[in-house]
Amino acid sequence: MKRLKVGLSGINNVDNPGPGVGIARSIREDKTLNAEIIGLAYDAMEPGIYMDWLIDKSFMMPYPSGDPESYLERLLHIKKSHGLDIVIPNLDAELPFYIKYQDRLRDLGIMTFLPDIKQFKLRGKDRLADIAKTTGLTLPETRLVNTVEDLSDAAAELNFPLMVKGVFYKAKKATTLNEAISHFHYIAAEWGYPVLLQEVVSGDELNVIALGSGTGETMAMVGIKKLWITELGKIWTGVTVKNHRMLEATETFINTYQWKGPLELECMVDGDTIYLIEINPRFPAWSYFATGVGVNLPSIMIRKLLDKKIPAKADYEAGKLFIRYTYELITEMDLFQNMVTQGET
Amino acid sequence: MSRERLQQLAINDQGFVFDPSTGEAYTVNPTGLFILRKLQQQLSVKEIADQMKEEFDQLPEDLVRDIHDFREHLQTFKLV
Repeated sequence: MKRLKVGLSGINNVDNPGPGVGIARSIREDKTLNAEIIGLAYDAMEPGIYMDWLIDKSFMMPYPSGDPESYLERLLHIKKSHGLDIVIPNLDAELPFYIKYQDRLRDLGIMTFLPDIKQFKLRGKDRLADIAKTTGLTLPETRLVNTVEDLSDAAAELNFPLMVKGVFYKAKKATTLNEAISHFHYIAAEWGYPVLLQEVVSGDELNVIALGSGTGETMAMVGIKKLWITELGKIWTGVTVKNHRMLEATETFINTYQWKGPLELECMVDGDTIYLIEINPRFPAWSYFATGVGVNLPSIMIRKLLDKKIPAKADYEAGKLFIRYTYELITEMDLFQNMVTQGET
Repeated sequence: MSRERLQQLAINDQGFVFDPSTGEAYTVNPTGLFILRKLQQQLSVKEIADQMKEEFDQLPEDLVRDIHDFREHLQTFKLV
């Protein structure tokens, strides 16, 4: 029987791990998919390349921020030389490309399950106020700034410390005006204007991973609390929770905006106040946590794409623990050599 | 909201208490465990004190006040 070939990126399972390895593991657990996993890597050292029990073959990719035609060409080469039925892009920098070219990829025989560009822009941080209102969550005090003068005025209103954020990505904490100005220039240079200034809110970090059907249905979701995070802010230990307001907010968001694809809703919960921090339009790095408690979102997504039977909406128990750990892998140089010289394993 | 949270608490026999809506975990001693379970059954402080007298030996004289204190402690965590 022909194997389903699923390409996925974010196999950089390092201290700031990409989501790819967890997604590969989730897909593997649905044996009826009979999937071959193809790693799409940007560096020959990405650990997923060497995890042969999860990833069958890997290809080097050009950077998605470069020429889109070269990127498309590379995907087409993989399709023709090896086979590629589905791509699950998992890195922020790739999403604009895949969202923009999703129809063209479909015409080339490569499926994706992503929001459209309008939906993608919707979760920009300058639009979070609308979403917070719609979903009944609270947005921390936020100001949009375009100049250093705007920033000084806004900082005076919000007081320090505060967060300086890019409209789509990057967030840095500032404790002084000079620090805020430095972050402002850095973030504006990378992500453009406006830059956001936001009050720092305290509380527990609760997140939801979910999958929207594109027609308003929440196909599956799991809520978690981060118990222990690394210096980079990445989860190391977590626990499943059922915060009903946050789960309802997720469903409202997916239903209102007809969200298609995976998402991660990030919140801070302080007593009865739930602050909306951001919405990521992709699977988070901890997505295997959901699979481990019985909600295999990558499998559901692939089944939806293939028009295969989707199991009844899976539920999960609160109080299940997630423990990340490190592990060492010793291997021959062959794979590394192939990646460097031939661009594939 | 608080009554709902109290009812949702997962409590085991060793006194480990987990709040599924926030992910917070607490531990309580056997007396606290007894009171917490009775509060979940929506018993009043007086009713809890009466039942404790049947269940435990050597209870303090100001038992009712101690139960009130414990309940207030739960209130600070918004559990009751």
